[in-house]
Amino acid sequence: MMKRLARSAGGLLRWETMLIAALVVMCAVFDRQDAARQVAGLAKKDVFNPAVVIKGLRPYMLYSFMTLGIMLILAMGDIDISTGASAALSVAALGVVYQALTGAGIPGGLSLALSLAVCLLTGWLCGAVNGWLVTRFKELFAMIITLATQLFYRGVAYLLLGGKTLTFKNDAAFDLLKRLYNTVQIGDVSLPVMLIAFLAAAACYAVWVHGTAGGRRVFALGTNPKATLYSGIRADRVKFRLFALCGLTGAVTGVFFVGATSSSIRADAMMGYEMYAIAAAVLGGFSTSGGRGSVPGVVLSLVIFGVMKIGLGTLYGFADSMVNLSVGVILIVSTLLPNLLTAAGDALRLRKRRAQANVSSRALTSGSI
Amino acid sequence: MGEIQTETVASSRRAPSGVVSMLARRREILLLGVLLALLTGVSLRVPGYLRNNYMNILKGGSINMVMAAGMLPVLLIGSIDISVASTLAFSGAVAGMLMRDGYIVSTIGMVLTGIAIGGAIGALNGVLVAYGRVLPIIVTLGMGYVTRAMIPMDWLLGLNKIARINLTDSFKVFFLDHYRLGLPYLVWFAVVVTLLTGLFLRFTRIGRRVYAVGSNESAALVRGVHTGGIKTLAHAICGAASGLAGVMWLGYYNSVEKTTASGDEMYVIAACVLGGVAVTGGYGKITGVVIGALMIAMINSAIPQLNVGNSMITEFVKGLLLLAAILLNAGLRRFARRRELLGRRV
Repeated sequence: MMKRLARSAGGLLRWETMLIAALVVMCAVFDRQDAARQVAGLAKKDVFNPAVVIKGLRPYMLYSFMTLGIMLILAMGDIDISTGASAALSVAALGVVYQALTGAGIPGGLSLALSLAVCLLTGWLCGAVNGWLVTRFKELFAMIITLATQLFYRGVAYLLLGGKTLTFKNDAAFDLLKRLYNTVQIGDVSLPVMLIAFLAAAACYAVWVHGTAGGRRVFALGTNPKATLYSGIRADRVKFRLFALCGLTGAVTGVFFVGATSSSIRADAMMGYEMYAIAAAVLGGFSTSGGRGSVPGVVLSLVIFGVMKIGLGTLYGFADSMVNLSVGVILIVSTLLPNLLTAAGDALRLRKRRAQANVSSRALTSGSI
Repeated sequence: MGEIQTETVASSRRAPSGVVSMLARRREILLLGVLLALLTGVSLRVPGYLRNNYMNILKGGSINMVMAAGMLPVLLIGSIDISVASTLAFSGAVAGMLMRDGYIVSTIGMVLTGIAIGGAIGALNGVLVAYGRVLPIIVTLGMGYVTRAMIPMDWLLGLNKIARINLTDSFKVFFLDHYRLGLPYLVWFAVVVTLLTGLFLRFTRIGRRVYAVGSNESAALVRGVHTGGIKTLAHAICGAASGLAGVMWLGYYNSVEKTTASGDEMYVIAACVLGGVAVTGGYGKITGVVIGALMIAMINSAIPQLNVGNSMITEFVKGLLLLAAILLNAGLRRFARRRELLGRRV
């Protein structure tokens, strides 16, 4: 009986359950504040309802695709801090190629398709270069390699754009990208295209990561790389592919970013996005030392960050800085807390074992005398 | 860490001859060579470059150099701190606020305040890393968000930025207009900080323990080294250096706001990595860090003068150089090891 209770309590203590609880509590608090503001006459209508929140999530979900790529790198026990820069480079390539193609008289739709392909390819290549370097130079940390490539990719993006901002105003074909940021009406609800795309991608990732042998290998690699290698998994190939995939997800983020910023392309775009993505992945249960994490957790943590930003911003009037402060505190506390709990549990178990050992040794000595 | 092991093994048998292994062991020589080559290249394009610009290189590089000197012990223990730029901005802003409100009048007071604030933030990082067992990159990422977010808060500073009018006249002229032996005080700060860090790491017992913790933590622990304390100390040093850098920033640019130095932590780490510091911990010298910081400062100052048409090439060259440096380092190390193994077989 006790055991079963303990097991179900363990199920309740799962990280995702805690995240859901946190989300529910947060929504309840925000809802009360919303109602209070209405009563006090500070707001004319309620600003915190599902329809508004779902629409409002968009600007905070831009880095969500990148998070899907980075979380798997974290699951392997590596890190990639170049994704923001490689996304900026892919977007720069998109803009430059589109400009060149339309300048050469190729119709807009075709050039958009071609430049989108170039953009995704650039992202994949950036990731592939990271992967190649990481698997080739194992004595170097992925952190340092991607630090170098971060500066390098950003530099190439600056070089491509020459420090200028590319904008495509009133360009019928290029404006198609803006639609990615719009909403579509499904039945009674209007959902952002981006959200649907992200949820679809996350669902694919969840099936792949948690349901197939290929996905389980990623976690195996993060738990014990040597054992993984000896059990016949081509560790380097898996690593290379995941880094390349991470670059690709960065490029996808970049495409949505262009849609969101009404088609303006700058080399310093998406600065620091990789850090947001790492923060979201860590809150979602992934650890930078590898081997743990779940896709639903990451989706939840992205939603939590988004809802928190909306709520703190619109309901409490806090500026961005307050939101960033909360992100930082949550990041530290959410990793510190499990560690402290485990440490406390270990200490308790040790104490119990010592007490038992004392008792038995005393019994032994008294018995022998 | 591998270096030290191979070094001792090699010297106890017979030192492997050959230029490459020598370069692999004394990486600073190679770095100095690259720095001189860059300088020669630039001087050929821009005659009299060094004569006209040496002061700008030193001034522009000194803040980065102070932070890199602080980063060295953190990298040596195998940790990392990506919150240094935020710590710089935060301590600069708080020190500036204290001066604006008249709590601090003297420059010495500002310097000490900066060091204290930065040191406290660094120590907190260190405690979380050493005793909370949280990974350093997560701790410092979060701390970076927190400290940078606290800058524009009304209850803390009362306004969004610290500007010229908030500073006393004596502070404004202290760092750039006072010279000794031909160098402004700003540069002297960098010289003193790097010297102190170098001497501390080389000659004090605690300094050697920093290397010991980075080389093999469990061995150090068994040997009786208080590893948690050493880790906390290393992070506190890094924070203190960033706090000092914040006051130097205030003295140099006379303003600090919430976006100040954002992203500069990457250049601090880059200076260390260029200088041959191993991010796995246990290996690194202050001379390398100084050369690495000088290299970045030189690129910053030289490339705009080269007239290559695209002023944005600076970022590109910095990235390319860093990438080349780490790959060259790794390659050299491999080559040296292979040579050594071959030598042993004979």
